Amino acid sequence: MSDKNLFLFNILRGLAAILLALAVAAVFIFISSDEPLTALKYLLLGPVVSFKATGNVFNTTSFLTILAAMIPTIFSGLAVCVMFSANQFNLGGEGAIMLGGFVGALLGIYLKMNTGLHQVVCVLGGALAGGLIMLIPAILKVKLGASEMVTSLMMNYVVMFVILHFLNFVFADRSKGATQTFPFQETAKIPEIIANGTKLTWGFVVALIFVVIIALFMYRTKWGYAIRMIGINQSFAQYSGMQVGTVIILSQVIGGMLSGMGGSIEVLGRFGTFLWRELPGYGWLGITIAILAKNNPIFVPFAAFFIAYLNKGCNLMATYSDVPSEMIDIIQAAIFLFFAAEQFLAKYRQRIVVHNAQRDLALQEAAASQGGSNS
Amino acid sequence: MISDLLLSIFNADFLYSVIRITAPILFAALGAVIAEKAGVVNIGLEGIMMISALFGVLFGYWTQSWLIGVIGAVVIGVLLALLIGFFAFEMKTDIILGGIAVNMLGAGGTIFLLDMFTGMKGNTGSLVTRELLIPTVDIPLIKSIPFLGQVLSGHAVLTYLAFLLVWLMWVVIYKTPLGLNIRAVGENPNAATSIGVSVQKIQYIAIGLSGALAGLGGAFMSMYYSQGWNSGMVAGRGFIALAATAMGRGEPLGTMLSSLLFGLAQALRTKVSGMQGVSSYLVSVIPYLVTIIGLVLYAISTKNKLKKRHTATKGAE
Repeated sequence: MSDKNLFLFNILRGLAAILLALAVAAVFIFISSDEPLTALKYLLLGPVVSFKATGNVFNTTSFLTILAAMIPTIFSGLAVCVMFSANQFNLGGEGAIMLGGFVGALLGIYLKMNTGLHQVVCVLGGALAGGLIMLIPAILKVKLGASEMVTSLMMNYVVMFVILHFLNFVFADRSKGATQTFPFQETAKIPEIIANGTKLTWGFVVALIFVVIIALFMYRTKWGYAIRMIGINQSFAQYSGMQVGTVIILSQVIGGMLSGMGGSIEVLGRFGTFLWRELPGYGWLGITIAILAKNNPIFVPFAAFFIAYLNKGCNLMATYSDVPSEMIDIIQAAIFLFFAAEQFLAKYRQRIVVHNAQRDLALQEAAASQGGSNS
Repeated sequence: MISDLLLSIFNADFLYSVIRITAPILFAALGAVIAEKAGVVNIGLEGIMMISALFGVLFGYWTQSWLIGVIGAVVIGVLLALLIGFFAFEMKTDIILGGIAVNMLGAGGTIFLLDMFTGMKGNTGSLVTRELLIPTVDIPLIKSIPFLGQVLSGHAVLTYLAFLLVWLMWVVIYKTPLGLNIRAVGENPNAATSIGVSVQKIQYIAIGLSGALAGLGGAFMSMYYSQGWNSGMVAGRGFIALAATAMGRGEPLGTMLSSLLFGLAQALRTKVSGMQGVSSYLVSVIPYLVTIIGLVLYAISTKNKLKKRHTATKGAE
């Protein structure tokens, strides 16, 4: 069927965009490095292969740390999927993640609870904080028409500085040289699935569960349908009687809750105390991931894996060769531009569509002439 | 006590610094104005400022001329803006995503490029010597007026250019054929097409100009304001510029006023954060909070206006 060809085409086009982005990276590496082949080797293979004199072996530990690095970005990717699906360019994920992490951390320090329940309460607290903070740009957009993009961007900075204030003047552990909070209680820490230091915690399982939940929400519920419909055609959604304002607010609150949840899970799983001094960057990664996933929650883990893999590769490349790890930003920018480009390889898409249409027409004509001869 | 505080804040030095701090925001905000007039959202201003700032320093260092440095920054700004334009107009990438891509280049790509060109990590250190800074000028007559002279004279060449550009931008938009075309394309592209205006060409020109202006803002940052490039330098000014433009209703003069407001907020932050018993973090919030409040006030006033217009037309019926 025609749909199948187009689906295949979309996948191939995505791969082509990624390859092109990597090619751009390779060009930069060849220009800037004295040892480009070593750099490329570590970038592309380093994350899962240990290079040893006796031969190359699969590096399980490194692979598990890549999975661990996906935990916050799966959440932020899902958050962006939901918000962008409603055509809301809310860029406040960064702030919501940091706030969620901070609130989760405080609950983990000051609440007294049994383990099991404690983690749940901390993460829910983080999610609630993230959801509440996203209410601000959402309501300003719906009620007043203020650009959610600008207000959410500004809010990131507000959130960061307010957290830094409380961190420094209210919750600081003065016994430590560096500014940090008191350590989390053991009952609040999110344990690793296998205790091996890779930081692959149960948060990873929770993240995957939420992939399924959000996918079901977006494609199997009336609210999810409303969100997607508003993203496709807001006027149509309005005329067909949807509560556009409410749904737009809902989409962003869900985005905020997912972000906050991701932030608290990351903080309670990776660290022993709250250590973030600046916006963690997962919000922006979430945008890259949502674009790679074409706003479809099911593809988010794959996109998150790809980005985590590249990130690790870039770090290894910076360690073992002379190429700085900021290469990741150049690759990401190139992916952004090519992957999101609707006209990229559009000629071929056009050709498939035309081909399918011609074939369908031919089939119809054949059917019609057959019908004619029968009568 | 409060009057002491006020006196210690609102003196000539302080007002001088407000103008100095406003200039880079104003450059970028004017860039947002011209883009918006043509119906183009350039969210990449932040990244363009970062990259232009870096290349301003590099070109200046390579040629040992601040002027060529500034020109180089502008050229880079234009090229980046055209890159966003190319992907948005030809390849149909969402223009907001194109802008975010350039911002990513600005955040990490600059560190990479600096390393690639000079081997330096994260800042340009001693590349910017005194001779390579954008020079300041004294304005002959105003200079000798007691208070005003201290506030208005002795700024960098580019500071004056920024405020001059407010007027120039107004002239271009409202008094030239190009400006007419830009406004036509922004307000009704179909109508513009029907009278033979190439929408795409006009949008390329507009986004190119916005890149040039952001490039000037970047050059101002690295070649005057912070006297060198470092990775955290632009610190959201490109985004604040977007907010200033929204608050200034997309008009040059209004944008200048809102940029001054942000300049004031930031100058206040610098001033107050040095004082005893004041949390520098909370003071740092001011410019961003002012932006949000400003946007809200603007949105409310727009909404009321629309309502009034509605009731007025209803009354006429």
